[in-house]
Amino acid sequence: MIHDLAVIGGGVHGSTVALFAARGGMKVTLIERGPLCREASGVNAGTLTLQMTRVALIPYALRAHAMWASAREWLGHDVGVVVCDGLSLAFTEQEEELLSFRAGKRREAGAPISLVSGAEARRIEPGVSDTVRLAGYCKVDGFANAYLTGLAFRRALIDAGVALQENTPASGIVREDGGFAVQTSNGVVRARRIVLAGGVWIEPMLAWLGIALPIKTLINQLVVTERVRPVMRTVVGIANGLLSLKQYPHGTVVIGGGWQGIGDRERGGVELLPDRVIGNVRLACHAIPDLKAARVARAWAGLEAETADALPAAGPIPGIPDAYVCGSVHSGYTSGPYIARLLAERILGHETDLPLFPIDRLLGTATPSEARHD
Amino acid sequence: MTHDVIVLGAGPAGANAALAAAEAGLKVVLFEQQPAAGGQVWRAPLPGLRMPSSPEKDSGDALRARLAASAVEIRFGRTVWSVGQHFRVDAVGPGGNEHAEAPRLIAATGAHERVVPFPGWTLPGVIGLAAATVLLKSHGALPGTRVVVAGCGPLLAVVAAGILKAGGTVAAIADLAGPGDWLKALPALASQPRLLMRGAAWALKIGGARIPVHFRHGVRAADGGEAIEQVRLAPVDAAGGFSAGPEITLAADALCVGHGLVPGAEIPRLFRTAQTFDRRRGGFIPRLDACGRTSLNGLYACGDGVGIRGALVAEAAGRLAGLASAHDAGALSADAFAAAAGQARARIAQARAFSDAMAEMMALRPAQVAAIPPETVVCRCEDVTRADIEAAHADGARDLNQLKQFTRCGMGPCQGRFCGDVAGELLAAKVGSREAVGAFTARPPLRPVPLADLMGAFDYADIPIPAPAPL
Amino acid sequence: MTQPDQRPTVTITVDGAALRAREGEMLTTALARHGLLRLRRSPNAGTPRGAFCHMGVCQECALHVDGAIRQACLTPVSAGMAVERRGVL
Repeated sequence: MIHDLAVIGGGVHGSTVALFAARGGMKVTLIERGPLCREASGVNAGTLTLQMTRVALIPYALRAHAMWASAREWLGHDVGVVVCDGLSLAFTEQEEELLSFRAGKRREAGAPISLVSGAEARRIEPGVSDTVRLAGYCKVDGFANAYLTGLAFRRALIDAGVALQENTPASGIVREDGGFAVQTSNGVVRARRIVLAGGVWIEPMLAWLGIALPIKTLINQLVVTERVRPVMRTVVGIANGLLSLKQYPHGTVVIGGGWQGIGDRERGGVELLPDRVIGNVRLACHAIPDLKAARVARAWAGLEAETADALPAAGPIPGIPDAYVCGSVHSGYTSGPYIARLLAERILGHETDLPLFPIDRLLGTATPSEARHD
Repeated sequence: MTHDVIVLGAGPAGANAALAAAEAGLKVVLFEQQPAAGGQVWRAPLPGLRMPSSPEKDSGDALRARLAASAVEIRFGRTVWSVGQHFRVDAVGPGGNEHAEAPRLIAATGAHERVVPFPGWTLPGVIGLAAATVLLKSHGALPGTRVVVAGCGPLLAVVAAGILKAGGTVAAIADLAGPGDWLKALPALASQPRLLMRGAAWALKIGGARIPVHFRHGVRAADGGEAIEQVRLAPVDAAGGFSAGPEITLAADALCVGHGLVPGAEIPRLFRTAQTFDRRRGGFIPRLDACGRTSLNGLYACGDGVGIRGALVAEAAGRLAGLASAHDAGALSADAFAAAAGQARARIAQARAFSDAMAEMMALRPAQVAAIPPETVVCRCEDVTRADIEAAHADGARDLNQLKQFTRCGMGPCQGRFCGDVAGELLAAKVGSREAVGAFTARPPLRPVPLADLMGAFDYADIPIPAPAPL
Repeated sequence: MTQPDQRPTVTITVDGAALRAREGEMLTTALARHGLLRLRRSPNAGTPRGAFCHMGVCQECALHVDGAIRQACLTPVSAGMAVERRGVL
C-alpha cells in the first residue's frame, strides 16, 4: 500500500504533523526508531515559558502555549499541563540591564511580560529569595509533564488512525514515481509525501536525500528532586536564561536551564558534569532558598537540536517536491505543536496563519521564500 | 589524577580489591557510605556499641584491622553520587562535596534485597531479611517483640537464630523451600564444612527454641492499620505460587521477609558496559572477564553487585580485581599476577558449588510474581500497583523505561531498586523476555543526595553561569 | 541486648515532642523504641510507611532532620536533633 504521508521521527513535531494530517483526511504512517517521544520530547524540562523563547518565535510560542493549555481538547489526553505565572529574576545590576533589554524585546514581539520590583516578585512568588532586585513577570507561562508526552500522543495517534511503526529505525529514502520509498527495519514503506522530523537526527535524514544541513546537538543537563512540600508556585528563571525551575503538583522540582553535559547524536546524553550539576543547583537554591531541604532523586542529559541561526527547520525541502522537514526548534517543546500544526496545514494545502521556517536560508542557496527572520 | 585506582564499596569484595591493589604499590582510595568496612555480611557494630562475638563479626574485625594497617586511603561516611569518564568520582561527606580521579575504577557496590510484593508489605514493621541482619549485627536492636521470619534462602536461619540469640521471640519461620530442596542442596553445602556447621548451629538454635518452621509456605498478607498486627501464611508449590491448603494466621509486630538479592550493578550500567540477564545470579549483571574487567577499559567490578555469589567468592573476586588493576597499571609483573590470580581463582572454584546452591535458593520464582494480586503496590515510592503496570502494557509500554514514563514506576527516590526486578518480571510475562523489557536506565546520582550537602556554602558571584542563551 | 549500652542519653525532638535517645544510635532504632514505626505516608495512597531495608537503599525512612530530608537508617542520633516525620510529601 502507499500512504499519503510518511512521517519519520516520533517526537512532538512528527507526532503533531502526523496527527493533524490524519485528521485532515490523509492516510498517515509514523515511523519512529524507538518508542514515541522518548528523546528530547520526553526528557526535556517541560517548561512552557515565553521568557526563554527566542524573540522570533514569540508569536508561535504564544499560540503553542494555548495549544498546550487546551491539550485535553485537541490532543484528547493529559500531558499534565499546568498554566501559571512565570518570573525571570535578576540578582545583580548587570542582570537587571540584561533582563530589561531582553524582556523589552520579547514584549515588542507580543509576550505579555512586565518588569516588577523584587518586593512585587516576592508577592507573586513567596518562595523566591529576598536578593531578587528585578523580575520579568509573565502571566502566560507554565509547564507540562514531558514524560507523559509519548503516552498522550500514542493514544491520540491511534485514535486518529495513524499507522504507528514504533521501534522501527529508518535507514534511507529513495525517490520513486509518485513518491518515496522509506527503508526501515520492518521493510520498505511507501508514501506520496514525507516529513523528516528527527530532531538532532534531521541532519543524517536530509543526507539520505543529498542535502547537507548541519544541526548542532545540545546536551542539556536536568535535575529532579524527590517529592517535597510546596516550595514554589510559579515557573522561575533568571535573566540570562540559564535556569528553569518549577514544582510539579506531585511535589518534584525540576531544575534545568541548559547547562551542558557530555554526549552526542550517536550516543545521546552520555554523562553529566558534576561541577555543572552543582552550579545549576546552587543557582536554583539561590533563587528558591527552601529548595535546600530536598534531595536530588535523578539527573540526566537530554538532547536538543539547533540550526546555525538557532531558528527552526520547518518547511518544504528545496528541490524535492512533496518532501518536508520539521524540527530543530529552540525550546522546541514549547513551540513545537504550533509549528508542526502549521506544517500539517501546509501539507493539506491550506493557508497558514503564520509563515513557516524554510531551510533554504541555511543551505546558502536562495533567500527564504516565506519569511525573513533576523 | 589524584590516585591510581578508586574502589567503591568496602564490603568483602571492595576491601579485598583495595588491599590487593595497595599491596602491589598502587595509590588507592576507598569510598564507603557506612562508618566502617565489612559490607552487609560482616557489618560492624555502631560506634559505642559492644556486640557479642560471632564468626561474621570476627571476619569483619579481621578485615577492618587489615584495612587500618594498610596504605589504603579510606573515606567512610561518603555518599558517592557521580561517577564519570576517565573515572572521576564525586561524593558528599562531612566536608561537603569532594572528588577523586584515577585511570582505574573498581565497583564493589553490593546487592540489595528482593522482596516480592504481597498485600501489606508496605506496612511499618515489615522489613527485609537483610534489613533484620543490620539491626541485629550493627544497631543492637530487635525487629520487634514477636517476629515472623519468612522468605527463602540462608538468611531465614541467620535472622531467626540472631533474634533468638539477642533474646527476642520468633513466632514462626515460613520457608518457600521444602526440606527436600535443602536436602538436594546438602552436598553442595557440605563443600564448605565451616559454613555448613554455621548453618547447623542456626538450625539447632531454632530447633532448640521449638520455633515452628512452615516449609513450602509464603506470606499471603500482612494485616494492620498504622503498623503490622498479623501475618497470614499460606502453602506454596515448588514453583513458588500459592497452592490449596489452610492459611496460618499469626499475631506479630514485625515481619522479616526476603526473597533473595538483586545485584546493584548501577555503575557498569551507567557506563553502558555489556550486560546479560542471569536469573540465578539475581538479574542483569555486567559481562566480565575472569579477573573482573568489564567491557570498558579501566572499569572493574566484583562482589554481589555483579551477580549473587556470597562473601566467600566476593573476597576472592575482589582480590582478583585489585590484582588485575595493579597488573594493568604496570605495578605487577605478568608472573606475579598469574601466581596470585591463580590462587584467587582456585578459591572461587572451590566455593562455586556452595555459592551456586545458595544463589539457586534465592533466585526469583516467576510463579510467586504471577501470584501478586492486582491491587498490590509494586513500586513503593510511587504507589504503582500491578494493575497499573498491566494497564501501561495495554497502553503500549513494551520496556521498563517506557513503563516508567507511563506510570512513574521506578521514578521515586529508591531509583527503581525495589521495584525494577519485579516490574521487569511482570512486563516480561506480557512481552516475552526480561532481555526484551531491559532494565531501568541508570542515572546519577547513584543515591539521592541532599541539595544542601551538594552545594555547600557559596557566593552567587562565584557560580560559573554559562553565557546567555540566544535571544 | 546482651551488653549494657554505654552511650550517653540525650534529648531530641520528634514532631515537637521531647524524646530520650542514646547518642550515636540510629534514628530508626530510637524512634522504634518509642513506638514510632510510621515515619511518613506514601505519596498517592497516603498509606503508612516505615523503615524497610535499614541499609540506605529503599528511602522509606526519609524524614526531616533539622530541616533537611535525611534517611533515618543512616542518621545517628545527636543531642538536640529536631526530627519531623513526613506526610505524603
